[in-house]
Amino acid sequence: MLSKDILSSVLEKALAKGADFAEVYVEEKLTSNVFCEDNKIEKINSGREKGAGIRVIKNDKTAYVYTNDLTSEGLLKAAAVANRAARCEARKVTLPINLSLKEPEFDMQFTRLPEQVDWAEKIEQVLDANQAARNIDKEIRQVTVALGDMHKRVQIANSDGEMVEDELARVRMIVNAIAVRDGQIQTGHEVAGALSGWELLEKVSLSDMATQAAQRAIAMLSARPAPTGRMPVVMHAEAGGTMIHEACGHGLEADLVQKGLSIYANKLGEEVAMQGVTVIDDATLPGQYGSFRWDDEASPAQRTVLIENGILCGYLYDRLTAGKDGVQSTGNGRRESYQDKPIPRMSNTFITSGYDEPHEIIKSTAKGLLVKKMGGGQVNTTNGDFVFDVQEGYVIENGEIKYPVKGATLTGNGPRALIDIDRVGKDLGYAIGVCGKDGQGVAVADAQPTIRIKELTVGGTFSGAGPEIKRIQRK
Amino acid sequence: MEETLRVAGQQALNAVQAKGLEGEAFLLYNRELSIEISGGQVETFKEAEQMGLGLRVFNHGRMGFAYSSDLSSRAIMEVVRDAISISAYTAADEFNCFPEGGQSYPVIQTYDAGIDTAGMQEKIEMALEVERTARLYDNRIKQVERAGYEDAAFSSLVMNSRGLYAFGQGNYCGLYISLLAQDDGDDQNGFEVMAKKRIADLNPRMVGEGAAMKAVRSLKGKSIASGHMPCIMEPYVVTRFMNILSASVQADAVQKGKSMMADKVGQLVASPIVNLVDDYCYEAGIASFPFDGEGVPAQKNMIIDQGELKGFLYDTYSGLKAGRKSSGNGVRGSFRSLPGVGTTNFMLIPGNNNPDTLIADIEQGLYITDVMGMHTANPISGDFSVGAAGIMIEKGELTYPVRGVTIAGNILQLLPDIEAVANDLRFYGSKGAATIRMSRISVSGN
Repeated sequence: MLSKDILSSVLEKALAKGADFAEVYVEEKLTSNVFCEDNKIEKINSGREKGAGIRVIKNDKTAYVYTNDLTSEGLLKAAAVANRAARCEARKVTLPINLSLKEPEFDMQFTRLPEQVDWAEKIEQVLDANQAARNIDKEIRQVTVALGDMHKRVQIANSDGEMVEDELARVRMIVNAIAVRDGQIQTGHEVAGALSGWELLEKVSLSDMATQAAQRAIAMLSARPAPTGRMPVVMHAEAGGTMIHEACGHGLEADLVQKGLSIYANKLGEEVAMQGVTVIDDATLPGQYGSFRWDDEASPAQRTVLIENGILCGYLYDRLTAGKDGVQSTGNGRRESYQDKPIPRMSNTFITSGYDEPHEIIKSTAKGLLVKKMGGGQVNTTNGDFVFDVQEGYVIENGEIKYPVKGATLTGNGPRALIDIDRVGKDLGYAIGVCGKDGQGVAVADAQPTIRIKELTVGGTFSGAGPEIKRIQRK
Repeated sequence: MEETLRVAGQQALNAVQAKGLEGEAFLLYNRELSIEISGGQVETFKEAEQMGLGLRVFNHGRMGFAYSSDLSSRAIMEVVRDAISISAYTAADEFNCFPEGGQSYPVIQTYDAGIDTAGMQEKIEMALEVERTARLYDNRIKQVERAGYEDAAFSSLVMNSRGLYAFGQGNYCGLYISLLAQDDGDDQNGFEVMAKKRIADLNPRMVGEGAAMKAVRSLKGKSIASGHMPCIMEPYVVTRFMNILSASVQADAVQKGKSMMADKVGQLVASPIVNLVDDYCYEAGIASFPFDGEGVPAQKNMIIDQGELKGFLYDTYSGLKAGRKSSGNGVRGSFRSLPGVGTTNFMLIPGNNNPDTLIADIEQGLYITDVMGMHTANPISGDFSVGAAGIMIEKGELTYPVRGVTIAGNILQLLPDIEAVANDLRFYGSKGAATIRMSRISVSGN
């Protein structure tokens, strides 16, 4: 990585003539992916990335320049371009920048870094999982297994004299099983991932995931068509928190709030959810997929309460949006890579556990739908309208789980659903994914306890178009 | 630039060949500029510069691939080591083969020096003009969500162990805007994009006013009664359908049984006025370039000629599988990915009619300006059912805005129903089309 001297001189160049803020983000990343389809290793990919992004802010306007020329000449040239673009005109004297390395608030351990694991071992895991899924039943016609890992080192330094150095690894595993019977097709999907090295595979078995995905696909072949209409919906903790992330969480990101593109704008202190509903974003959870120690602009990761007991009490900020609102960054300034400027993003977002026994919630439901696994969907990020496919659903009658149903969709509105939650379980279940916003994908996790929503539309179609409509395809 | 890329590629190739294996080095250098403006000022300025190597290795038919954006000698050796070790694990495939050397490349003008010589201020001014002309167009334009200018320049080099060597440079530029019109509590989005090979061809006013016009004309739309009726599709809508169609004419989809066009070569699949072409050499198209991601020379490939399906698009792999040569469609997104079959400048060849004359004799029909949820169309069967918005045509005139309707059908049944193709060719990205008239389409509304 780069020396303090080089970083300081690049920052001084970027800050010349009175820019408000300058920052250098340096990244070195190794990635690998193994993908199996049609019973064979279809693709293996290995990538190396090395580059730096230089950001200059003047009067709330951002200039961003990136390069993978990390020589001091390359970096100084990029800094000069960014400085010129930010149109700094005042002849202010720039003081020398003394960088001081910030110490992290907690420790992270990675015992087996991805590049220390040889290809043979990765491939064996993937092929074993493929076989495990196919062993479930001959009706399993197609299985795809994907294993991806990433190890990166970053350096961030800015004109406030802050500097951090960090290193992290993430591993992600995906299994998709397709079952066919009499021309009918059903799929089962399992995803797992963590902020972790390959030690994750000692805790989570890829073959077990494959077995579960295949079993679900087979079970859904015998499912009956889903009921339609408005009804109570019990979302099991196992379904994860995709709804809360996509249909509510984006509205709590400060950039969307400040642009007037959120229904949560100007509602701090107001009741926006049922009493008993608390929503938190917490990047400090050990090992969670969306966790980190520093955000991508050198602010420490933190736990941020967004909705407490139904009352809206905060938004997710990066440095720039925090400055506009006169508050501190919540450590949510994230970017996909050195090629992107940081923007407010979620990390691990969840509804906290309540007091109800999950089985009691089902027992107290006269008639409704139990959702155990969510599929893809579409969300209007401005107003929170959503439609999600239900991958695994069951009909509840007289408090009992009766039979599996297929083809169910949930149509509703995220903020409305938070008001309509009437039971909150004591459990908590996570889902992980890569969330896209402004063309940048970042690792996130989301969670919820088993909850009951008084009424949602099962079936129904989504109307609407335009740039605010986001397709959700958690992969 | 060529020298830097060549040295890196040669190092990788030499190391692969020293192990007795076949290799292909793809190197890319690109530079991008993006200026986003808001409220008459530059909001975000971004300039990017990157280069990298994507290395394919064939080890007795087994493929290994690795890439790096670090072109240091050490990183290149690591890429070679990774690609070779990966090749030990992938499945062998007899069609894994690199194109041969000694190709001759068409001479195409792909680089506009005007983009480089235009000053930053000039580019900013164009973006500001887009925003300004949009706001001035109508006082119901309440919010410009984003507007901007972008350009990109790239140098691409392919070399392989069969002696192939190709180097070329290209650039393009563009303007865009997305905005919101409001009237009586009704909000409608409007957007426009324009991408050109030459900066002198950019027309900021057309972009700004185009987006504003689209938003304003959609205000206070209503649904209509269901029925079958003739329709006009604007070029943008036609290109959305072409996205689905383009997947079906790529040989890999055909070979995997994922194409609605499989087994239809030589048959009449569209009305005789339909001519569809994929032309890598079309100089005004932003995709034009002398060679593809495998170094195969650019070609003009007729796909549908007077309604008849002439053939498909091939890369080297799918070509060999079909017992023929690549059609020059081994497209590559970046050095980070493998080449695969893709379209270049994919266009519906325009006809002679002015678009207005297409409407003239329609008693009652739908002028379609937007479709929603096109990704849900089935590329294998051709079935589609998508949301649509537009303007009602009555007695040859455009009347009131329509929204909340669904149009449904099958693309294979739609193609023969094309009655007229106008002369107003417009490109959206690398897909181009003119306004078309269809004899009938199924519309469900109220």
